Amino acid sequence: MKKSQLQMHETSRVKRFLQKDFTPYLVFAIPLGFLAIFLFWPLATTLLRAFMKTGAKFSLSGMGVENFKKFLTSALYQKSLRNSFVLSFSVVFFSILIGVPMGYIVARIKVPAKNLLLSLGILPVIMPSFVGAFSWIILMGRQGVVRHFLNILVAPFGITIPTIYGMFGMIFTMTLIYYPFVFLLSYSSFSSANPLLEEAAMLMGAGKWRIFWTVTFPLILPSLGAAALLVFIRSIGSFGIPAIIGGEQYVLPTLIYFRVNGFWDLNGAAAIAVVNVVITGAVLIIQKYIISRRQYETISASRSSQKLYTHWAARFFGSLYCIVILIVSLAPQITIVVMSFFEKWQGLLPEGFTWANYLRIPQVSNTELRNSLYLASVATLLTAILGSIIAYITERRRPKGAAILDLAIMAPFVLPGTVVSVALLSAFSGNAIIPLGGTFTIIIISYMIRRTPYVYRSVVASLTQLDPTLEESSTIAGANWLYTFRRVSLPLILPGIISGSILTFSTLLQELSTTILLYGAKTRTVPIQIYSAVADGKMGEASALSVILLVVVFIIVYTMNRLQGNSMANSFKMG
Amino acid sequence: MSLNLRYEDVDKIFDKGSKHAVHALKKVSFTIEPGELFCLLGPSGCGKTTLLRSTAGLETISGGKIFYGDRDVTTIPPFRRNIGMVFQSFALYPHMNVFENVAYGLRVRKTPDVEVRKKVTEIMELVGLGDVLKRNPSPSALSGGQQQRVAIARALVYDPDVLLLDEPLANLDAKLRRYMRAEIRRIQKATNITTIFVTHDQEEAMAVGDRLAVLRDGIVEQIGTSDELYNRPGNPFVANFIGKMNFFNCVVQSIEGDDIGVILPNGTKLPLLRENYRSDLDIQEGMELLVAARPEHLSVSKASAGPALDGEVTIIQHLGHIVRYEVRVPMASSERTLEIDMDGMVPGIFEHDTVKVVFDKQKAALYAKDVNR
Repeated sequence: MKKSQLQMHETSRVKRFLQKDFTPYLVFAIPLGFLAIFLFWPLATTLLRAFMKTGAKFSLSGMGVENFKKFLTSALYQKSLRNSFVLSFSVVFFSILIGVPMGYIVARIKVPAKNLLLSLGILPVIMPSFVGAFSWIILMGRQGVVRHFLNILVAPFGITIPTIYGMFGMIFTMTLIYYPFVFLLSYSSFSSANPLLEEAAMLMGAGKWRIFWTVTFPLILPSLGAAALLVFIRSIGSFGIPAIIGGEQYVLPTLIYFRVNGFWDLNGAAAIAVVNVVITGAVLIIQKYIISRRQYETISASRSSQKLYTHWAARFFGSLYCIVILIVSLAPQITIVVMSFFEKWQGLLPEGFTWANYLRIPQVSNTELRNSLYLASVATLLTAILGSIIAYITERRRPKGAAILDLAIMAPFVLPGTVVSVALLSAFSGNAIIPLGGTFTIIIISYMIRRTPYVYRSVVASLTQLDPTLEESSTIAGANWLYTFRRVSLPLILPGIISGSILTFSTLLQELSTTILLYGAKTRTVPIQIYSAVADGKMGEASALSVILLVVVFIIVYTMNRLQGNSMANSFKMG
Repeated sequence: MSLNLRYEDVDKIFDKGSKHAVHALKKVSFTIEPGELFCLLGPSGCGKTTLLRSTAGLETISGGKIFYGDRDVTTIPPFRRNIGMVFQSFALYPHMNVFENVAYGLRVRKTPDVEVRKKVTEIMELVGLGDVLKRNPSPSALSGGQQQRVAIARALVYDPDVLLLDEPLANLDAKLRRYMRAEIRRIQKATNITTIFVTHDQEEAMAVGDRLAVLRDGIVEQIGTSDELYNRPGNPFVANFIGKMNFFNCVVQSIEGDDIGVILPNGTKLPLLRENYRSDLDIQEGMELLVAARPEHLSVSKASAGPALDGEVTIIQHLGHIVRYEVRVPMASSERTLEIDMDGMVPGIFEHDTVKVVFDKQKAALYAKDVNR
């Protein structure tokens, strides 16, 4: 009797198993496999390599902390580490100093052309950062225009303005490139804060300053924390700016490049990469910890619109402040456009108007243009598929370990580009099981790994807004998983996929920090070409290529902004 | 041809084996007759939505069986069950127009175009949206009531074996809700599809359902028609969930034929009817019981000749067709403030006055104390 019951139980389990719809599991297996092979495996290899001696083959007995000891013994290592710290924290500090007042002004003061200010504000972030760096050389380098001009002004006092090369230059340039994160995120929280909260404080007798420090400011802190983290991650991972204007001053990403390119010492580079990641990770955790204690649910039934300051002085000085910051931060873009039409620019004015810089492009950079387009397109397409499917799994299926998957996907977002390259090189170069060194494939994979978070975030956001009952009601109506996905889920998350893909595509066109370690003779891209042109001092050629890049990226991003409103800053945000 | 719907020992445990395991359904067994409009009623968290989602196959049950007619559907995934379901949020597809929304289930079934057109038109006429279909707008351009009708049409168009309604009226305003519940009953009777209607609103359930099941903590407390549930609730919980019931502590003093004499803590003696004793436990002298009286089975007066209870009027609310007196009596008699409904204002009684509470001895019921709850 018991046995037959058990048998019945068994058959019902088999029946249940066979009745299931297996399509989703097949679809889900592919991206998970991809992550395992191209993210987990390389990261694991990197971690192992970090403990192996220079040039050593893998063996358990050969493990040691040799590579890390250099941080104690080598002056160059110590300097780089210190530089990375000083640089990142200074950039965060100055970005907040510049960005928060600007956010407050645009959100709370009746300034003219507010939308224009917001659109111009985002420009520095979406443009290639190394372009900003080398155009500051034109302006503030040894023979820089602005420096030249300022030197004439201050000459009577016996001072000379320093060049842009070095720590000051890096902090200056990076701040001007990354402050928009702080500006835009603090703008959006200043303008979306419920004004009733401030009005209530006012009715209870609080003065303007007290209201700002006890109500307004605490409410924007979480958003400010997110912006600061974003700036920190960008600065500590930045390769282009330190490489171009760092001069003697190495930071961790350039040190990694130096180890790989100069010595082909992957094990040494892996150790630096591990240190770099540990720092970023620690800051991330500290930020999460602080933020999680300060996340407020806004309790409100109704809301009124923000009351803006209209006093003329507030309007005048507010606008002036914004305009000055915008002009300084957009100076590189303007410089580049001017420079691209001239032979040289070493005095006050550029000399020798010419079209040659542009006319030379088809001959000199034909391959690079094609490569960039090809790599960015293929990687974007694959990233869109990968990111969407993983977003769907974590958001809809909520498997055990969804949190780990989420973490894994977002990890490359905080990993510096050079670290991703080192990881891929560690796993797939030389006589690896799957040798990929110098191929298009390894670059595409690195792009996918680095940009999946963009699509993933964007799709997760659309999915959380998508009521699960829409899918359930399709199932109830008799549709299987694939039909439901095709007819209901996909059309509704498509806007999320598209905006994530556009962001991916436009940032991939300007990718430098990963490509720089992975490219070979046949796989050079436009940013690589610009970088080496700058290194050779061919500013005209570099400028013309940059202008083309700027225009393409600008058109893409502008179109997207038109299509879906001003939500660009949020697509960069994480967590 | 309508089917009946049978539950056999249905068990559902969420997060089975974990610390946070929730036993949402406990050995639920009952049968819904073919063509019946059946309401699942209960407070939030009682398991009614879980039972509905399990019927649909959206939740896998942990034990027991569910039958549509003779077919055991327990292991069949939702998309092979041929059911219609209307969600609380309506779940209309924003990227499809009204026609495509309604036609969705037919498209899934690969119905020929001509027939799709015919069936959608028919069903839209049935739910009273013939003219909306001619304009064929996007569902977001419709009012709440119209969206509701589209959702119902979408669930009915492919002739499902069972129709499931998950709090379908919760998103509508009060006036529309009363109108739509009558509409739902009309449409259900016109199609004669076996239907389950989940709600937490007892008035709605009583108005709509042929029969009702009252659930609490995953257990079916009572099943019956609205009339049975209101006039002969099986236990104190159902009594107080279906309408209001006032309870008094008492002790059985005498049992003589059809009469039971009880005594309240303040010494008031009440002669009640044996047929109004509604618990299974054998009744004995000296037993502690609950006297239960609906607001309309109590009255307030300045003075009373018969047995009565002294209390203080706390609030008088004029509700139009009745006047509700809230009266506080000593804690020993009743822990809660009483609600007493009178046909009109009683002259000379004001808030904070002390009054006599008089029982309708023919109607007041007796229950055993609910020891487990």
